[in-house]
Amino acid sequence: MSTVWGGLALGAIYALVALGYNIVFVSSNVFNFAQAQLLMLGTFIAFWGSVTLKLPTVVVFLLCAVVVGVVAVVEERTAIRLVRGTEGLLVTTVGFATLLDGLTQVIWGGQPLQVPFFGPSKVLDLLSGNVFPVELVLIGVAVVLALGFVAITRGSMLGIALLAVSEDREAALMRGINVRAVAIGAFAAAGVVAGLLGPLIGPKTFAVATLGSSLALKGFVAMAIGGFGSAPGALIGGFAVGLIESESGRYLGESYSTLMIFLALLLVLLLAPNGLFGHARERTV
Amino acid sequence: MDVPALVRRVPSWFLPLVAAVLVALFPLFGVQADVQRQIILICTLALVVSGLNLSLGYAGELALGQAAIFAGGAYVSGYLGAHGHTELLLQLLAAAVASLLIGIITGVPGLRLGSWALAMVSFFLVLLVPDILQLLKEQTGGSFGLSGIQFPTLFGLTLDQEGFYVFVAVCTALWLLMLRNLVTSRHGTAFRTLRESPVLASSLGISVFRMKLSAYAIGALPAGIAGCLFANLDHFISPDSFGFTLSVSILAASILGGSASVYGALIGAAILQLGPLESTSFQQYALVVYGLLLVLGGVLLSNGIAGILDRVRVRAQRRWLPRPRSASFQGERLPAIEGRGLQVEGAVKSFGGVQALQDVSLLAKPGQVTALIGPNGSGKTTLLNMVCGYYRLDGGTIRLGDEPLSSTPYQVARAGVARTFQTPSIPPRLTVAEAVAAGRYASQKASFLSAVLRLPGYRRARNTDVEEARRVLALVGLEDLEHEEAASLPLGTRRLLEVARSLVSRPQVLLLDEAASGLDEDEVERLAVLIRTIRDSGGTVVLVEHNFRLVLSLADHIYVLARGQILAAGSPAEIEVHPEVMTEYLGVKTPAGERLLQTAGQESADD
Amino acid sequence: MTDPGTVPAARRAPDAAVASESPVPLLSVRDLVAGYGDLRVVWDASFDVRHGQVTALLGRNGAGKTTTLRAIAGLNKLHSGSVTLNGQDLAGVPPHRRIRAGLGMVQENKRVFKRRTVEANLLLGGYSRRVRRRKLKDSLEEIYELFPALRGRAGTPAGQLSGGQQQMLAIGQALMGKPKLLMLDEPSAGLAPAIVGEVMNSVMTLKASGLGILLVEQAVEAAVGVADQITVLDVGRVVMSGPVGSIPDLEIIKDAYFGRGRGRPE
Repeated sequence: MSTVWGGLALGAIYALVALGYNIVFVSSNVFNFAQAQLLMLGTFIAFWGSVTLKLPTVVVFLLCAVVVGVVAVVEERTAIRLVRGTEGLLVTTVGFATLLDGLTQVIWGGQPLQVPFFGPSKVLDLLSGNVFPVELVLIGVAVVLALGFVAITRGSMLGIALLAVSEDREAALMRGINVRAVAIGAFAAAGVVAGLLGPLIGPKTFAVATLGSSLALKGFVAMAIGGFGSAPGALIGGFAVGLIESESGRYLGESYSTLMIFLALLLVLLLAPNGLFGHARERTV
Repeated sequence: MDVPALVRRVPSWFLPLVAAVLVALFPLFGVQADVQRQIILICTLALVVSGLNLSLGYAGELALGQAAIFAGGAYVSGYLGAHGHTELLLQLLAAAVASLLIGIITGVPGLRLGSWALAMVSFFLVLLVPDILQLLKEQTGGSFGLSGIQFPTLFGLTLDQEGFYVFVAVCTALWLLMLRNLVTSRHGTAFRTLRESPVLASSLGISVFRMKLSAYAIGALPAGIAGCLFANLDHFISPDSFGFTLSVSILAASILGGSASVYGALIGAAILQLGPLESTSFQQYALVVYGLLLVLGGVLLSNGIAGILDRVRVRAQRRWLPRPRSASFQGERLPAIEGRGLQVEGAVKSFGGVQALQDVSLLAKPGQVTALIGPNGSGKTTLLNMVCGYYRLDGGTIRLGDEPLSSTPYQVARAGVARTFQTPSIPPRLTVAEAVAAGRYASQKASFLSAVLRLPGYRRARNTDVEEARRVLALVGLEDLEHEEAASLPLGTRRLLEVARSLVSRPQVLLLDEAASGLDEDEVERLAVLIRTIRDSGGTVVLVEHNFRLVLSLADHIYVLARGQILAAGSPAEIEVHPEVMTEYLGVKTPAGERLLQTAGQESADD
Repeated sequence: MTDPGTVPAARRAPDAAVASESPVPLLSVRDLVAGYGDLRVVWDASFDVRHGQVTALLGRNGAGKTTTLRAIAGLNKLHSGSVTLNGQDLAGVPPHRRIRAGLGMVQENKRVFKRRTVEANLLLGGYSRRVRRRKLKDSLEEIYELFPALRGRAGTPAGQLSGGQQQMLAIGQALMGKPKLLMLDEPSAGLAPAIVGEVMNSVMTLKASGLGILLVEQAVEAAVGVADQITVLDVGRVVMSGPVGSIPDLEIIKDAYFGRGRGRPE
């Protein structure tokens, strides 16, 4: 059961990456390759705030939210707004991700840094398995954020506007929605959320400059399994990936865990290209 | 002496070839071993980048897995080399096969979902490299790396450092030559067409999926070859050489050099190898620099350095080497066309709750112009898209001659249905002749291999392409523009070009979608003459058109579509006086309108 | 000014309908030159829409009607000329602010959000009013009164409605924003005669309520039935303009439609 808890906690992180992809994808039809790097940056800022500066927890959260939010907006203004076409966006978002990888490495070095958890760190025994409190928190946060995403998109004017923008930008503009503001707002929101998650994810993953690319891929697999644009899908996909990783690591060996996730991705793409909860996309004519 | 003519006669591959020979002969000029080593590294990087260029720059699909395929090639060769199979050609072959396999296995699922998915699936490969090497620790040495790779041999002779250098240079030059042959061939045009618009590509009979997979899989080849060369350079390889950083530097080199070019790969690779990669202090900042390069390159450089050089070259040629006028086309401009009947029977289609077509039947006969008219929203476009295979019928049949028509767009095109688009769709950076010849891609086959090696089969196809393109260009009156850039022509000319492109495959049915819109009166007149010529040669022409006057003067038979149903059908004379057609075009009466119209009518009677 | 010579009707305009006109038109378009990017499609178009009146913009396909509408909404480039709504010059105002300033746009092809429910579509229509959702829910009732066919289908995704219902939804959506000026782009396209009649009747109702309406139509007779003012475009230029009663003969309009009028190279 311990590996199940570990897997679910990892899965929660992947689900959070996938949720970030979704927020941006829904609002501006852009796949933000650098989303996982924003999360990674959050863990570094959490380390900086809590270890280097020894700030109180609340301030650490604020600091993370502001810094990562600003970086996300910078990304929108440079690597997204100025670029046309999918290929161009692929290149520039990959570039921005690389830039963040490089910058964190230059500033904090290549060694993993331990981010302390602000809550209790005593191992709990739950359902005959060992689980850290931070892992439970991660699982809880992922579930709450996914449900929150659904509640916002279904229930609020902002959410309806968001979905309208994703379906037809021009028609949304003609309903008086400031489409550009929505796009920037979604980036800022995805950044702020990524920042706030830094102090929660850091204790589980460490702050390390290689975190971004591995989270990016596994988050992508979570989204592919769950379906583009679906928050519950992201959650279930994330948990699935986390469990595949921890269980295959336990029964087959460490080296197999990533391979198994890759096989799962190939299977999903071949058998259910729209994921479990995705829309069938209309044909382009 | 006519210098421009002489310069013109120098083939475009001549200068690169001279440069390649010179570089290959560097050891003779006493170039130091460390410089040779640099050049080898540039060559291997350039090979990998050129593979990415094929899929990114030509087919428009971003693949990030080149580093993994490179590793695949390196480890296959390294394993062979460490076990006594030192023959380089054997190793190259094995590496090529391995890379092709990796390409196909990852390409099939990745390409099904389109751009993001391929980028991610291929990028995932890079992450897998250390794990797979660890799993195959017996064979690969795991994280410690694979050592004991023996000196390579060529036909049994052991290659020393200099011999290996020459081999690498020759290999790279040969690959670039083959790539050049591929991208300048009709397949290259097909790739560009695909990148511009998958819809256009399939309307020319190009299978979008197969073409994208080909570009991606062929792009894997040089990465495998480069891996083989890399393994034999230091006789040692380890997982560290094939990580994320390499993936990004490959992409950066491609963007910097220009992804839609052959030699851009060399430029990009050389800059990255001699610049950033060289200095050790750089290592730390490598990712920052690559990241900036990618963001800036993506925002500012559209075609990289090679693109800039190419623009300069084109401008210089315009300025100093004016092209002599080509002799006008002498042959028959339009040989007889074997048109076949297009028959739609009982076509039904609905989208959600909207009934777009209800029981529509029509017949377009060979040697006739059949027009389809109707107000906006009447279902003309839907019907056209059904014929072309973009929508599936909910009910009814579509037949070409006696056979049912396929419902896959590229097969519809191959069956002999050609079309033009409401907004002309023409890929950038193609000459008029190339853009027109693209219409023949499916009607005469010439394999990738025959194009790369310029075999007789390819030459035959190309000669017919040129001949046929000139024939139809003469027909539509665009002969003079043969060598101009097609995409930058004015709208009316592009429309005529589209008609030429759809005619060049001698289609059994020609669908013209709003061909006259945006044309001035002279151009409309030219178009009308052209359409009559096609009809008189036996072609089946279907005209979807808003211009009522043009339709009345051109069509042999008119179908009027309204609200998804055929409202009326008949000769122009019948349609012109058909009361319901008038009402339909001018709109429906409402009681209030009736009243107002009566008063308006009285006023006019008073005048 | 507009194309001279062809428009005897325009000169008669003032005395024909002066009684019902307030001094300041709701929408005033002057010498509008518009198009896509650098391409100019419409030249020197001028016309007005007054409170409680319908101005019909007629012409065949490609005449520039939709381009004009889009330029007024801010979706297309306005090369020169002016657009004034309720005294406010719209130059440089971004599209979403024009909507908030009282412009209601119903785009062609029944452009509703097909994956969203009828109610979500209508609520979204009220987005520009920036009021609470509950208040918007109250406004729904007015729309259902105007289009009773929508009432029972609040939870249905818009894509599953019939064409006529989608058109009504599109209009209802624009009305939810409480516009002063409603712009309708080919509302009758692809609809059966009875439905067109229904749509035009609702246009009459709206006009009676004081709304100014700019109606773009290919269907002349349906449009003429509800219009107060008519402007006819051909190949990007106004060829005729004036109150509906002053039009001597529909033949002129028909000529413009069937291409018997003068063509003009672009």
